[in-house]
Amino acid sequence: MAGLIPHRGALVLFGAAALFPLVVRDAFFLDSVVLILLWGALSAAWNVAGGYAGQVSIGHASFFGIGAYSSALMVTRFERNPWLGLLLGIALSLIAGLVIGFLSNRLKGPYFALSTIAFSQVLLIAVSRWRGFTAGAEGIPVPFRPGFATLGLSHVAWVYVALVVAILYYLIQVYLERSRLGLQLAGVREDEDAAEAVGVASRRLKVLAVASSAGLTSVCGSLWAQYIGFVDPAYVFSVDLSVRFALNAIIGGVGTALGPYVGSLLITTVETYLRAQFSGIRTGFTGIYLILYGAVLIVVVRFFPEGLVGLASRWWLRRPGRARAAGAPGPA
Amino acid sequence: MLTLERVTKRFGGITAVHDVSLEVRQGDLLGIIGPNGAGKTTLFNVISGYYRPEEGRVRFDGHDVTGEAPHLICRRGLTRTFQIVKPFGNLSVLDNVTVGALTRIAAVREARAEAEQVIERCGLAAHAATHAKALPIGLRKRLEVARALATHPRLLLLDEVMSGITPTELAGMIDLVRRLHADGLTLIVIEHIMAAMMRLAQRIVVLHHGERIAEGTPAEIASDRRVIDAYLGDEFSLAEA
Amino acid sequence: MDPAARLGPAEVAAPSPPGPFIDTLAQLAVSTLLLGGIYALVAVGLTLIFGVMRVVNFAHGEYLMLGMYLAYWAFTALAVDPYLVLVVSLPVFFGIGLLSYVLVMKGVINASHNVQIFTTFGLSILLQNVALVAWSGDFRYVRPWELYVVMQGAGTTFNLSQVVAFLVSVALTVALFAFMKWTHTGRVMRATAQDRDAATLMGIDTDRVYRLTFAIGIAAVGAAGVLVAPLYAVYPTAGLQFVLLAYVVVVLGGLGDMVGAMVGSLIVAGVEVAGSYFLGAAWKEIFYFILFILVLIFRPAGLFGQRGAETLGA
Repeated sequence: MAGLIPHRGALVLFGAAALFPLVVRDAFFLDSVVLILLWGALSAAWNVAGGYAGQVSIGHASFFGIGAYSSALMVTRFERNPWLGLLLGIALSLIAGLVIGFLSNRLKGPYFALSTIAFSQVLLIAVSRWRGFTAGAEGIPVPFRPGFATLGLSHVAWVYVALVVAILYYLIQVYLERSRLGLQLAGVREDEDAAEAVGVASRRLKVLAVASSAGLTSVCGSLWAQYIGFVDPAYVFSVDLSVRFALNAIIGGVGTALGPYVGSLLITTVETYLRAQFSGIRTGFTGIYLILYGAVLIVVVRFFPEGLVGLASRWWLRRPGRARAAGAPGPA
Repeated sequence: MLTLERVTKRFGGITAVHDVSLEVRQGDLLGIIGPNGAGKTTLFNVISGYYRPEEGRVRFDGHDVTGEAPHLICRRGLTRTFQIVKPFGNLSVLDNVTVGALTRIAAVREARAEAEQVIERCGLAAHAATHAKALPIGLRKRLEVARALATHPRLLLLDEVMSGITPTELAGMIDLVRRLHADGLTLIVIEHIMAAMMRLAQRIVVLHHGERIAEGTPAEIASDRRVIDAYLGDEFSLAEA
Repeated sequence: MDPAARLGPAEVAAPSPPGPFIDTLAQLAVSTLLLGGIYALVAVGLTLIFGVMRVVNFAHGEYLMLGMYLAYWAFTALAVDPYLVLVVSLPVFFGIGLLSYVLVMKGVINASHNVQIFTTFGLSILLQNVALVAWSGDFRYVRPWELYVVMQGAGTTFNLSQVVAFLVSVALTVALFAFMKWTHTGRVMRATAQDRDAATLMGIDTDRVYRLTFAIGIAAVGAAGVLVAPLYAVYPTAGLQFVLLAYVVVVLGGLGDMVGAMVGSLIVAGVEVAGSYFLGAAWKEIFYFILFILVLIFRPAGLFGQRGAETLGA
């Protein structure tokens, strides 16, 4: 399952990101890099459940929002530092992840997906209504306090924070590809019953995968809240956001370690470009690139299921003079 | 080794398996035959933990494993294959079998080595790197067996591994099963292909409408009135060359 | 913008003025009935599509939204009463359904669940944003005269629009049910739903069955959109609340079960009406989401225990 561009691709991508701030100082571009890395990490987190475990959720915004709110509230309400909020977010998301994981054992495919959507919407409504605690629908502005402990960082510093997270999540996925756990998970993904028959604790593994994915997502949510400086419930718990996490992974290559990042690179760049081009025609622009996403999703999922990374590895294999791997690889 | 005590499995109004008891001792090669819908696969599902019977007990090595989770039953040493093969399509043959091997072996490298040996033993070495979904049915059936073998079972349940394959493949599969048995594996085999069953099984149990209607050696079964009636009644020919 | 307002339907059940409890109960019952009828029309198309094609159509709500816009533009630009548009909407959405099937759904009928999920999701995003780009995100309102005809009886209050929506929905739902049960085509569709392979063996052109099923399902939900336009605000994401609700209904009633869909609609409508009356409109949506999750946890096979969310196509 590991693509034929193993870590070379990651080295290029992450290397470029690391070198970027040394060359470019423009806040706009640095911001883009941070976003590419964060969206990539978020999709990588989704990938753990959706790609490696085969549990396709369209409600990961639940965990993102929990993370975002935990960090924002920790700072604004409890006046502690956001890292504590990050930890709290992880804890809460793990619990939420356990619930969703439990559902994954009761429900299959589309119905599981639906239940994840329902979950995220319940959170959205609850948080929007709980004015006393969460400042309701208006959202929470997160104050900027310079310093690492308070995650008040410069753009350059944020690039490196995001890079560390992105690399970490990349490595987690690589581990999943190579490890015993990962192989068993692959079996669960392919055929749960068959995996059980050969000794894999399918149900438990699924819950583990979903809960881990939840925790990883939450971390990014907490960081994002501090980076953007504002938490809007309608956004952080939205279905659009959940689809976004999945979209990057699907376009890049579901179930591959690099896929989410490649997908994020493409999508975020396109989006940023379109936003720059069409700024001013607000609603019209928003719609256009989403129409594109919808169309791309339909096409990719049907004709290019392995995503960009998969396509690239097949192309790589076909190049003349390339030594073929032992045995004929089956049709993808 | 394995004891079924009066197992009954119902689905809503339908009784798929009714009051079935049987015993398998170490080293046996037991065959289970019966017309379509006789409840054979349901029985396997009950034994391996996929279904919990409404009545009766399943005992493996003296432990009551009735309704225990399939993966735990596998860890005890009882593995089953599926009638409609369930390969891990997007994984290579080697990876498929490795997943099985990982049940006993924690280290991936060792498990892979073990898997390679099993693949060799099952005659799949030439296809080790092929994606499972690219395999034709005959090889998929072999893969099904190989993957189950990698879990080091002491009792292996084979569900119709001989159907739907070419005569050459059939001969190969019969040979494989015989070798496995000779190497000390205890087997329960569900089969439709009578010729194969007659050649392999020491003892045969016949199911019909979920009930055990006969048990005995192949010769006894072939001449048993009730068995012949069951098959002729369902328009199935017992004498299949 | 208050997300709950954006998400949730506008007030359908006007809270009664304080009066005898029996009146309140009557009001809740009437509101439930009126709302339930509409939900039934939406859900019945969905359960049909699922029952016959085994596809979960995430884009179902978007067709309803398009129906709402059809009513809006006909009313605003051409001053046509929505209930006349209804007649036109059936063939129009039938055609749209056919088109959608041929262009998008046909290719993924036999694909894995994940492919289907993302395909219909992609379709949903596409349609939502086509509407957004074409007509902007502004809330639109269709206010035909029927909406202002207040009717009263036995201490309950409702308006003519609600009644018409209810009656037409019930009529269409019953017609659909009758079609499925007593016509040859309906029987062919049911046969395909029961056993796809057997149907093919018997010479049934499953592609044609699917095309028809999808088209009918979309026609139903498009018509529902026209009917509900006067009762709700019209905006590009209006479909979302309905599709989730429709899924709750379908899961409650049992996948593919049309009678179950009708009963489920009443239950969901009841939960929504009672919930919004006793605990306030703001929390309305949360009730059926929670109901949904509870049903999925405790009784995924639905109230009638047939095929369920867990087996999905077994």
